[in-house]
Amino acid sequence: MSQPRKSRPGRLRQGGLRTALPFLAPSLAGMLVFSLLPLLISACISLTDWNGLDQLLAPGMFAEHFVGLGNFQAILSSKEFWQVLGNTCRYIVLYIPCMLAASLAVACLLSQPRRGVTAFRVIYYIPVLTSWVAASLIWKSVLSPQYGALNNLLAIFGIQGPGWLLDEAWAMPAIVLVSVWKDMGFFGLILLSGMIGIDKGYYEAASLDGAGPWARFWRITLPLMTPAIFYVLIVSLINAFQLFPQIMIMTDGGPNGATQVMVERIYKYGFRYYRMGYAAAFSWILFVIIMVCTFIQMKGQERWVNYDS
Amino acid sequence: MTRKRMAGAAYYAAAVLLAVIALVPFAWMVSTSFKSRGALMSIPIEWIPAEPTLDAYATVFERFPFLRTIGNSLFIAVCYTLLTLASASMAAFAFTKIRFKGSGVLLGVYLATMMIPTQVTMIPLFVVMNQIGLINHYSSVILPAIFRPFAVFMLVQQMRTIPPDYMDAARIDGASTFRIYRQVMLPLCAPALATLAITNFMDSWNDYLWPLLMLTDKAKMTLPIALSTLNGQYDTEYNVLMAGSLISMIPIILIYIFAQKYFKNGLMAGGVKG
Amino acid sequence: MKKHKKLFALTAGLLTIALAFSACGTPQSASGGSSAAGTSGSDTGDAPVTITYCNFNSSGGNEETLQKMYEDFHEEYPNITVEIETIGFDDYFTQMQTRVAGGTAPDCYELNIENFAAYANKGVLAEISGVDLSRIDETALNAFNVDGKQYGLPGNFSNVVLIYNKDLFDQAGVDYPTADWTQEDVQAAAEAIRALGDDIFGIYQPVTYNEFYKVAAQYGGSLLSEDGTAFTINSEANVKAAQMMVDRVLESNVQPTEVQMGGMGDWDLFMSGRLGMIPTGIWAFGTFAEGCDFAWDIAVEPGADQKATAFFSNACVINADSPNKEAAATWITWLCSSEEAAQLRIEAGWDLPAINDQAALAPYLEQTPPDNRQAVFDSLEYLVLPPTIEDYALMSDIIGQKLAAAAAGSMTVQQALDEAQSECEAQITLQ
Repeated sequence: MSQPRKSRPGRLRQGGLRTALPFLAPSLAGMLVFSLLPLLISACISLTDWNGLDQLLAPGMFAEHFVGLGNFQAILSSKEFWQVLGNTCRYIVLYIPCMLAASLAVACLLSQPRRGVTAFRVIYYIPVLTSWVAASLIWKSVLSPQYGALNNLLAIFGIQGPGWLLDEAWAMPAIVLVSVWKDMGFFGLILLSGMIGIDKGYYEAASLDGAGPWARFWRITLPLMTPAIFYVLIVSLINAFQLFPQIMIMTDGGPNGATQVMVERIYKYGFRYYRMGYAAAFSWILFVIIMVCTFIQMKGQERWVNYDS
Repeated sequence: MTRKRMAGAAYYAAAVLLAVIALVPFAWMVSTSFKSRGALMSIPIEWIPAEPTLDAYATVFERFPFLRTIGNSLFIAVCYTLLTLASASMAAFAFTKIRFKGSGVLLGVYLATMMIPTQVTMIPLFVVMNQIGLINHYSSVILPAIFRPFAVFMLVQQMRTIPPDYMDAARIDGASTFRIYRQVMLPLCAPALATLAITNFMDSWNDYLWPLLMLTDKAKMTLPIALSTLNGQYDTEYNVLMAGSLISMIPIILIYIFAQKYFKNGLMAGGVKG
Repeated sequence: MKKHKKLFALTAGLLTIALAFSACGTPQSASGGSSAAGTSGSDTGDAPVTITYCNFNSSGGNEETLQKMYEDFHEEYPNITVEIETIGFDDYFTQMQTRVAGGTAPDCYELNIENFAAYANKGVLAEISGVDLSRIDETALNAFNVDGKQYGLPGNFSNVVLIYNKDLFDQAGVDYPTADWTQEDVQAAAEAIRALGDDIFGIYQPVTYNEFYKVAAQYGGSLLSEDGTAFTINSEANVKAAQMMVDRVLESNVQPTEVQMGGMGDWDLFMSGRLGMIPTGIWAFGTFAEGCDFAWDIAVEPGADQKATAFFSNACVINADSPNKEAAATWITWLCSSEEAAQLRIEAGWDLPAINDQAALAPYLEQTPPDNRQAVFDSLEYLVLPPTIEDYALMSDIIGQKLAAAAAGSMTVQQALDEAQSECEAQITLQ
């Protein structure tokens, strides 16, 4: 079924890099200036005990504050790091399957040629259009145990809702709930564009073979939209590791540290406790973790992602 | 026939349920924005404010120059979006349709840059921007659009699914590489480009911390920054914040509804041809 | 296809413009963004100077007042132009830190007490000298004095009083609070008010760091040893103080738990008319006067073994690298101590100017509600300052988190303070 990629015909052979360069130039330049250069600087910072206030470019800065790998050692041997990593993983394990299910539902509902589908497309996207700051503020009040919309809705059905953000056990699931609500429209639309791009011929052929809608979904739609699903998985995992604004506004890491996650710690160390070197090392560790996870995903894609249509 | 009708009913039940989930918090936001402060914590809670008031809206309009900030945000978001689309689609084209040495590694580097937590490159990037002299120019928040690995990655995924026949045909016709990119690939990627356009527009529209750091001149203030000035040191006025957020969402929802039409065309085109 | 062509032309055009912009930007930024950098050194003369001033305190409603102050100032010092930037509180410090580290800090700016010590100790602030500080309140001035050097001027001045709902006191048949109330009197009144209804609470004094260091002082405790070289977070007096605060939540429940509060604002609870007492800052007067449809008044905060009242002030500071330090000092001194600025501040109901001129403060007393404004000045006798250590934010976060755990019932008060003590000792080096 899958040919080795090298022998695929569609690529232009002539010129190689010389043909590619004009197309790559703008984004390459952007990468150097806006991404790699700052990254390099942050790598240097991670080897120092810089406080984040002294001028970064002052002469002798680096030599004066150099601490070698001290920050990395301190982080990896701290209890806090492992707790925070655990919290982050808890979020990911809850978030990814819920988000994927919700956005698949969105994509399926929107792919049907039915009356009102345009309206639904707008409605499902409204959470995405809301800024994280506004969304977090709304949800903080929606999730308020006594004064919020959610528990009062549940009460109508006789359910006593939990303390959500104020309850150690429920705070992280609440954050997941909000994130899924916010992201399902976005990822749903990406899955939808993958779904719509599928050649109608396959469906016609399958219908002729007598396949029902369910069988068509599992045998044609799902396999053929694996590139879109793959994209969604990669991006959502990277995003999930970097979860931040919702935490800052809704719980600020509480209650009792239950929602302290990697980036929240990085931000606090860098911008609240004035330990920028420590924060930079922390973020490099996060960077490596995300890279390893993504690398595993990339390696795994050959098994299930289908690029040949 | 009845089976078809049942499928229809099931469809609408599911679709409406999802719509309610999407909208309840939003409705709550609207309701809150019309409340007076004393009513925020009334018992039992008021789904519809008992005494609706426009106080919160009056406060918002009183506190910042509305048209000016909307104009700034709009200008920045439009430029940002166009720049992203152009740069990312070109890069994605090179990655998927031109064979060159190291393309896999380079794409890996692109992907890796997505994984950098922004909080820590923030100060270095600020310093870099300052060295180039971009601080306080609109370009400081627009120019970073030329490198958006998320967009590149998404288009790469999309372009990979485009069958090679189209390109082969164009090549046989003697089209230049650039013409193949512009006249064959771009139209074929229309659905993905449409999705990208709206998400990038939105990212830029809602971006807060970076413009805050870059645009210190009050005349260049964007909407989220203006909204943040509603927040005082000691006190959060929920109703005012909700009113402000609501106002800031209206333009983008309108744009989205308007863009829908093009989306639909794009999606159709992509669907039929792909 | 035509559409795409247009899109391209447009994009290319925009790109060119953006690049042109950036090219133009280069020389300008060399002067640090301030057009008057060239006049450094001579800014005492008549040469016009432009300085930048960043603040957060005027955000959320007082931007116009600040602008009016500046206009008065500019009339008096026509050669000094001040560009005022107002930023919301939430991200103010992130932005300021980035700008300081990036070498583009404004000439002068505002810092709160939490961040002041960090900036002052790390040498990014200029010592303020050569200006007349005689009109500024001494307690407030001392808060920003590090090792005998004045690094900040108190721009405003707020303290905490006990605000109470008169109607609820009447309903419960309890006498109104007076200046010599103790925490025990508060407890008795709070219980009587709590008995009025399931959703009515006696008092809200959150079990947070800010309230804790003050109540600890009322019981004779403190966070640091007298010479400031050791933490004394789990001292006997501190445990007693924290226990009292936590008991109000978990034992007598005269104070709502976090869940009963539902993550909403304490001011909103008071304004809804379901809260008897709230010790909070005098900056609440304006909001309460507008938002409360019941009678309320204030009293000096209650004490225990002694009285103690929290004090808040924001510092106006000068960037150590500013080329226009003298002009900046002139502006912030005027802002903090001039009669005109003081008057505008009082008229706007913003907060108190930190000046020692009683006559200038007189108009403040005439505004009502509350009737008993004199309590604001009576409280000044009992001010306690938070310990100004370099790692202030880290310390307050550690203590705050442990206290919250105790208030939620997930650990005992003794445990919470013991853990706070050991974590602070492990992570913070005191000079």
